[in-house]
Amino acid sequence: MMTKRILTGLFMALVIAALLPAGGQQEADAAEEGPVTITWWSHWANEPSKRVVIEQIKDEYMAANPDVVIDLVWWDKEPLQQAWRTAMTAGEGAPDIVTDPAGDTMVQLEAGWFLPLGDDFPWDNYKPGAQDNAQYSGFDGYYKYNIGQSINMIFYNKEIFDEIGVDVPDDYTFTQDEWVDIIRRANAAGYAGSALAIGNRPYPALFPIWFSFFSLVGADEFYDYINGLQSWDTPEARQVLDWIAEMGDAGMWPNTFSTMTIDDFHVYWHTQRQAATLWIPSWYTGRAFKPESEGGQDPDWQFGMLRYPRMDGGVAEDRVIGGFESGYMISSATEHPEIARDILAFAAQPRYGALWEVATDIPSAIRYESSDVPADAPESPWGWYHDEINRVYGPLAMDVVELLAPPERSGDFTNATTSVLNEGLPLGLIDVDEAIERMNAAR
Amino acid sequence: MPERMNRRLNATPIAATIILIAPVMIYYATFILYPIGATIVNSFYRMTPRAGQIIREFVGFQNFRALFSDKIFGIAVRNTLIWAVVGTSVEMVTALALAFIVFFKVPFHRFYRIAWFTPILITGVIVGVVFRWIFNYDWGLVNAFLRLIGLERLAVNWLGRPDLALGVVIFVHFWNTFGYSFILLLAGLSSVGQELIESAEIDGANRLQISRAILAPMLLPVTVTTMILAFMGKMRAFHVVWVLTNGGPMNQTETVATYVQKRAFNWSSLDLGYPSAIAVFWFVLVILGVTAINRWLQSRTENL
Repeated sequence: MMTKRILTGLFMALVIAALLPAGGQQEADAAEEGPVTITWWSHWANEPSKRVVIEQIKDEYMAANPDVVIDLVWWDKEPLQQAWRTAMTAGEGAPDIVTDPAGDTMVQLEAGWFLPLGDDFPWDNYKPGAQDNAQYSGFDGYYKYNIGQSINMIFYNKEIFDEIGVDVPDDYTFTQDEWVDIIRRANAAGYAGSALAIGNRPYPALFPIWFSFFSLVGADEFYDYINGLQSWDTPEARQVLDWIAEMGDAGMWPNTFSTMTIDDFHVYWHTQRQAATLWIPSWYTGRAFKPESEGGQDPDWQFGMLRYPRMDGGVAEDRVIGGFESGYMISSATEHPEIARDILAFAAQPRYGALWEVATDIPSAIRYESSDVPADAPESPWGWYHDEINRVYGPLAMDVVELLAPPERSGDFTNATTSVLNEGLPLGLIDVDEAIERMNAAR
Repeated sequence: MPERMNRRLNATPIAATIILIAPVMIYYATFILYPIGATIVNSFYRMTPRAGQIIREFVGFQNFRALFSDKIFGIAVRNTLIWAVVGTSVEMVTALALAFIVFFKVPFHRFYRIAWFTPILITGVIVGVVFRWIFNYDWGLVNAFLRLIGLERLAVNWLGRPDLALGVVIFVHFWNTFGYSFILLLAGLSSVGQELIESAEIDGANRLQISRAILAPMLLPVTVTTMILAFMGKMRAFHVVWVLTNGGPMNQTETVATYVQKRAFNWSSLDLGYPSAIAVFWFVLVILGVTAINRWLQSRTENL
């Protein structure tokens, strides 16, 4: 009798527990009749100038569409990508709009994780190359919303160059051997050759390799190399990697190369001023052009710029690599694809291109007129920076080549690029022969 | 007493037992057994996300065969085994020595007991963050001290040098965990009968002789258990290394646990079958290792 009562009670408890989610479901159904919530995951958590732009887009869209609530969540890049992968793999908790996954985009497109931007996206608002950048080999449609362009540049510390007795030529270009000499002199004076470090990013050490490779072989062949479409066992690849190894031996990398984060090495460059050069795209300003109290640089500290190394036998020293910043893509897990598409189309208006440039000092991918510039835009203290870009890179022809997310690069080649070129070779853990062997093995 | 009533009083309360252990069993089945079982099954598949689903393709032992040609896995296994052997040895010797010190009630033994146990109370993540600062090349405590005393040439990038990073990580993990072994061994010493020690003292034995001839043999069963626990902890080390170095530079501090995490959630491939195979392989290896150690140590215990 007692056993029967206990078992009856247990059965009733299980029945009640099973009914509880149904009650919750009724509440959820009621909630759906209200405003639609769109979840937007964005990196750039530590870049206030970019946040200002995206927050304004969000606010103005919501003002124009009261039936939509945008939940904008800011992340650092790596945690965002891990959370995104976890959510999509689990099939639960994924946002509607997310920062593009850069080097993993192809793999995730193959997994069906993204939706195209749709036929109504205003590509006419964009500068040349932006629409092509939104397309991926083997997939119909355009997937990536772009807002920022990038130029890949070399900065140099004028004071250190003066100290070590280096004069910058009129064409802002040094030869391979001259570069090695500069690095050696900087190192002898107690400075690192460059401020680049790989503490929390899989690519900073790639920039000297990519810039010099591009300068040597030109855009088309360079594209094949970084996408793994071309064997790396070539005289050109060996020339670049031998030179990088020589630069490393001369003192190219800081002592904290493998532990400094991307935020750290920005400070190392512009505040601690412990490095002679910095090889970096124009998204530098997102972390550097903010108040010094927040980790930004002194606006009065003016660095110089250089063109890519003149490689022996090179064909493209008079050109510069252009590209596009991180953008946004629409998650295939979204329950409101048309609203997500509408939000990104709204964000492609010329006034947001103008706002982007004013706020971030980064070229916009979106075309705009002077009338689109906000009337209350404060005077920028960074005029010298733009003047230097125009002086050094303005006369050069630009080739748009996606550096961080080459569209045809396989997952294995991505991993090899990181471990071999970003880590192994700069750290001296592998030599050039092994680097070439591993890169080819991953193709 | 009537027989029927007697039977009822002596009957095992099955229903009550089931009800009382049901919550724990449900939790155990849901969060322990099911994930283990699912991982074992998944290790025989290639699992690829496609259009919101997971496409499963049976590949048999292909994932396991791939382990033997995976260079990074080889590095992770090497690092983890070094950690398990070196870390466990250092931890056991240190914990044993400290336990004897406190047991013999040296001056300030109460303070030592608290001080040496406290690090285990701090989570591995916090320990990793703090020691990352301590070993910072530019302004960390270690290098600042070395520069202060004129040993600047020893002020290196502790976490960034491939030849040093693993040693530093092992040290930090040791600092975080040795207190657990220490307290277990101290408890074991405390359970040894005082009359044995007093008898030995009356016979003129000093502390070293008492430790070697009486306490150490009596402590062997506890030592075996503590060693096994320490070994297992090292074999699945994750939090400290993940925060300190993330397995870098260039996998030089990679452990099997961090490699599984990376293959599952950070790799350019989205396949979950291969990381499942790594986890299963390591699980079996740890079980075999622990069993072997246990049998060897138990045989020594039985000979006492």
